[in-house]
Amino acid sequence: MDFGSQTVIRDLSFDVHAGETFGFLGSNGSGKTTTLRALLGIYQPTAGVLHIGGKVFEPRDGARLGYLPEERGLYKKEPVLDVMVYFGRLKGLSRDAAAAWSRTYLERVSLADKATTRLDKLSGGQQQKIQLGVTIMNDPELLILDEPTQGFDPVNRRLLMDIIDEQKRAGATVIMVTHQMDEVERLCDRVVLLKDGTAEAYGTVEDVQDKYGGTVVRLLYAGPLPTSDLFDVISADGSSAELAPRAGTDETEILRELLGHGVAVRSFTPARTSLEEIFLRVYGIQNELVGV
Amino acid sequence: MAQHNLGTVVGFEFLRVVTKKRFWFAALAVPIALAAVFALVFISNSSTDQTAKAQKNAQFTFTYTDESGLVTTAVAATFGGTSAADGDQAVADVKNGTVDAYFAYPADPATQPVRVYGVDRGIFENGKYDAVARQILVAGAQQTIGSPALSAMAQGDVKITSETYKDGQVSGGLDTVIPPLLFLLIFYISIVMLGNQMLNSTLEEKENRVTEMILTTMNPTTLIVGKVISLFMVGAVQMITFALPVVIGYIFFRSNLNLPDVDLSHLVLEPQAMVVGFLLLLGGFLLFTGTLVAIGAMVPTVKEAGTYFAPLMIMIFVPFYVVSVIVSDPHAVIVQVFTYFPYTASVTAMLRNGLGSLTLAESGIVIVELFGLGFVALRLAVYLFRYGSIEYSKKLALRSVLRRKSRA
Repeated sequence: MDFGSQTVIRDLSFDVHAGETFGFLGSNGSGKTTTLRALLGIYQPTAGVLHIGGKVFEPRDGARLGYLPEERGLYKKEPVLDVMVYFGRLKGLSRDAAAAWSRTYLERVSLADKATTRLDKLSGGQQQKIQLGVTIMNDPELLILDEPTQGFDPVNRRLLMDIIDEQKRAGATVIMVTHQMDEVERLCDRVVLLKDGTAEAYGTVEDVQDKYGGTVVRLLYAGPLPTSDLFDVISADGSSAELAPRAGTDETEILRELLGHGVAVRSFTPARTSLEEIFLRVYGIQNELVGV
Repeated sequence: MAQHNLGTVVGFEFLRVVTKKRFWFAALAVPIALAAVFALVFISNSSTDQTAKAQKNAQFTFTYTDESGLVTTAVAATFGGTSAADGDQAVADVKNGTVDAYFAYPADPATQPVRVYGVDRGIFENGKYDAVARQILVAGAQQTIGSPALSAMAQGDVKITSETYKDGQVSGGLDTVIPPLLFLLIFYISIVMLGNQMLNSTLEEKENRVTEMILTTMNPTTLIVGKVISLFMVGAVQMITFALPVVIGYIFFRSNLNLPDVDLSHLVLEPQAMVVGFLLLLGGFLLFTGTLVAIGAMVPTVKEAGTYFAPLMIMIFVPFYVVSVIVSDPHAVIVQVFTYFPYTASVTAMLRNGLGSLTLAESGIVIVELFGLGFVALRLAVYLFRYGSIEYSKKLALRSVLRRKSRA
């Protein structure tokens, strides 16, 4: 995918299996939104296509596709229900069905009393809920969500995640762009990590954790932390630390080494590296933070 | 499904305009103003009628002297006048209020003024002195001629019917010119009233960031065509709203409002001119709609769109600067240029079609040109919206968009 002389996405190919939730990860400007827009035909890709169920995707009337774009917006001067019914009809629902669905949804997200209110009279979070409602109307087979939690408080974020989870359980395939790594770990089956327009990592969450982080040791301790050939110190603040075992090193050897150097170990927990940690490593921020 | 969505788009776009208070405020402002003017004219005319009747019936005393010999005592007496022996005394009588007025008819009223002296009754009522003095003289002159028919002719009250021929057939004259020119009127009203809405029709999707939702839900061609149809419907509602008080006023209050009696049965509908006029109207509307929607898809804000709107509006008025040449010399270079330049073609060709100077071949070329370029402009508008409206906050570089290979 080129913009003028600049190539923004190159040699990127990935599969999303039916019914799974796929995480699309990357730092700002890594090409996530551009990729989605190119896949959906909003941008004209230099090369490449989106296949859905083996067929080339063409945006067409009535496609059961739900897309929540990064740039949100609806017809702001229109009443909530009118806008929802309009999009429902565009997605193939009858007027009555669209209105009934919209009222049920508004009830669900505590906006039933706003049905006749103009969209621009709602708060940003309330508008986000309406946008999500429009996205999931008519039970999409493929749900593409670009930073869905953006603008939500923690309570509504949980509500939104529950709704996405319901869609998944109903059989929808979900592609999700997000910076909330805990959500990725909780919801996603597989992920792709995008860096400079290429796939830096691709696979199940566990595969990526194993490949990029492997195991880490979370340590609560007292006393000086020794330098060792057995592990690297990822982070340490005098009472807690995260250690990365070097290749071929067993966690037991590390514990023995620490005790041997007189470290008072209060807690020693081997765990997989978090996606957030991997994210920081991949994008080079980890080193800068440790350096500080 | 596309058909279903077209209906959905048309319904949504139409209803959300006509259900807004501000639409009716704007649409009704002109009819209300017209109704107010009509009401004032009505009241004023009623008042004038009453005043005229009152003046007609109001007798006043006057004296006169006549050096022309045209004024007869009998006529003057019917108005309440008597002959005065001395002009100076008669003026003095007016000044002291003994009589209301004194008229001094000169020896040659054709070259010399009739002098009128009267007691001041206010600006409007003072007019009666002139009126009576004049009428007495006219009646005297008619009696001198001795024939009502000759008198009528002397006043220019003559009926004339004329018949002209074109290619050996009777031509309809002005009655054949008016009907095809009505298409020009409709074109102007449509573009002036709807132009701004056309320009802004796709801007709303950009400004509200709805573009991506739309592009992944429906075909952009359906959206654009739906918007154009709904705009046309909105325009029709506006025109009906504007025209209704005029039609009601004409039908029910024509005489009270002093409106001319237009006999539509005299108009001649020449099939060729009417068909050509209709096609020029459609083609011109298509071209301007496509162009305005394309501009809307290119620019990020209403304000920026406005800078492109003015030149297009000028284009449709420019032909009127050479209207005298269009009438007198339709083969002049400037007229030919305006006839074929796309954005002046519709107005110039409609004018020439009405005036009967547009040949069938020229009509065909201009109609094909307008429809062809109109479809290209609409196609371009869809393409720009499809691949350009995602540029939410900056003006679209047309060249870069067109360089991209179309997949639409």
